[in-house]
Amino acid sequence: MAFQVSVFLENKIGHLERITSVLRAAGINIRAMTLSHSTQGWGILNLIVSNPQLACETLSDNKFSATLREIAVIEMEDHPGGLDDLLKKIAAAEINFTNAYGRIVSPGKTAYLAIDVEDIGNCLEKLKRAGLKLIPDNDVYGNGNH
Amino acid sequence: MIFWEKDIETLQRSGIHKLQVEKLNQTITIAQNSLYYDKLFKQKGIKPGTIKNIEEITKLPFTTKQDLRDHFPYGFLTVDRRDVVRLHSSSGTTGNPTVIFHTASDLKNWANLVARSLFTAGIRDTDVFQNICGYGLFTGGLGFQYGIERLGCLSIPAGAGNSLRQIKLMQDYGTTAAHAIPSYLNRLYDVFKELNLDPKRDTQLHTFVIGAEPHTEEQRRRIEEMFGVKAYNSFGLSEMNGPGVAFECTFQNGLHIWEDAFIVEIVDPETLEPVPHGEVGELVMTTLDRIAMPLIRYRTRDLTRFLPGDCPCGRTHYRLDRITGRTDDMFIVKGCNIFPMQIEGVLMKIPEAGSNYLITIENINDNDELIIQVEVKREWFSGDLAKLDNLTRLMAHKVRDEVLVKPIIKLVEPGSLPQSEGKAVRVIDKRKIL
Ligand SMILES: [Zn+2]
Repeated sequence: MAFQVSVFLENKIGHLERITSVLRAAGINIRAMTLSHSTQGWGILNLIVSNPQLACETLSDNKFSATLREIAVIEMEDHPGGLDDLLKKIAAAEINFTNAYGRIVSPGKTAYLAIDVEDIGNCLEKLKRAGLKLIPDNDVYGNGNH
Repeated sequence: MIFWEKDIETLQRSGIHKLQVEKLNQTITIAQNSLYYDKLFKQKGIKPGTIKNIEEITKLPFTTKQDLRDHFPYGFLTVDRRDVVRLHSSSGTTGNPTVIFHTASDLKNWANLVARSLFTAGIRDTDVFQNICGYGLFTGGLGFQYGIERLGCLSIPAGAGNSLRQIKLMQDYGTTAAHAIPSYLNRLYDVFKELNLDPKRDTQLHTFVIGAEPHTEEQRRRIEEMFGVKAYNSFGLSEMNGPGVAFECTFQNGLHIWEDAFIVEIVDPETLEPVPHGEVGELVMTTLDRIAMPLIRYRTRDLTRFLPGDCPCGRTHYRLDRITGRTDDMFIVKGCNIFPMQIEGVLMKIPEAGSNYLITIENINDNDELIIQVEVKREWFSGDLAKLDNLTRLMAHKVRDEVLVKPIIKLVEPGSLPQSEGKAVRVIDKRKIL
């Protein structure tokens, strides 16, 4: 089961950079990110990193509001229509997600789509039934080759 | 024994009034020795013995903070300077500071009132009392120090700030009681957590005395829960010595104000007429024991009311409600009178809201906007944007229900609001800067 790190972030110059420099200092690799903003000057930064537990602890120690959220990371193909194919299957499985972001793993071959859902247990069940392939945690975090 | 001075604390109302009239006439005699009151009394024909019953105090003129500033530094002093042993002074950010002088007997009387106050809150000579507050010109340091010693506790004059050292002192000497500013205790608790310590388990604290900045009942309850203590409200102001003016007893139902040492009136801040008993108005106080610098009918600018009814503890001195604000704290937005305490009261009832907040009033596109920055408690952060969005909407609705103006709620990162060692700055009115 893969985790993303979610961080509360004020929409101000330099705040995102504060987070990335804290993670850099802790030797954490950022593999993918997405930023969702509310209209009121704050938002939530979602990160896929090499070591989510350590990242979350490091950020909390540095007084950020950070938390781990379980996500589903699904394999997709890196060619035109790859995302479309995948989204059709996800829709057919009646999975409703609140946020999604992708990353290419090896160009021209595989990519993944990370989705954030309300009910992760139920979602994983549906993905399995729809025959969709989840990416192993180590590949998500980029630790597989070591 | 629950009383420090039973005869005084349980004196019948008629006895209190008799004592007050007697002491008020003495105070007029002493006050005549100051340049300020001598001139004023001659103008108004006020002489010792003028006051026959307590209601006649309204014949005397008010004294304001401006009067103190205008006659800085010695205009109110009644004794030879060689008889003065200490001064306390407020920082004068605008104009002259407010300075209060004390003789040795003034300090003795003050220490006794603080000791009586602490005893009333259940603190005994067996306690180890840590005074977490700035010493120096601020009255909370030395004021409590002398009171703690008069009571006979082991005193730890810890001073303000340096949370790691505060916690170490608590652990090394088994601190059982402490005095601090409520906003500081929130920070101190965070440091306990960072050290993986739980004040309930890892200290012997049982009583806090909190004061010097207005706070709500909700904030008190939070402090009690966090530290596993009873927290008692303390009220004082430097013009009336400092701490030891009014204090909660163990029933925590308002603050007994020591009427053998002060005459207490509550007046309408506009008309300056007394308000009916139990209604909110400006607190006006007269010192009855002070030699170096007596003050007569001093307008404190604090807004409060007398709580009706008797206290089950048996003390007959009237109880004040917690201070709802100051006449000069109130701000007006879109025609509504708002006190910062009202907003704090709303926020503290929302569990996700952190204890730190900042109110800004700003003119945006010709509209006065009430902007509230509030921290979200870290333990409530789930990474869910929609939940936080709903939270801001809930906060905005609840604040509007209370103050009748819809605020703009801005969630901020924990620890990002300005924090001060002293009183927390809660309101910035940017309209005044223009
Ligand atoms: Zn009582």
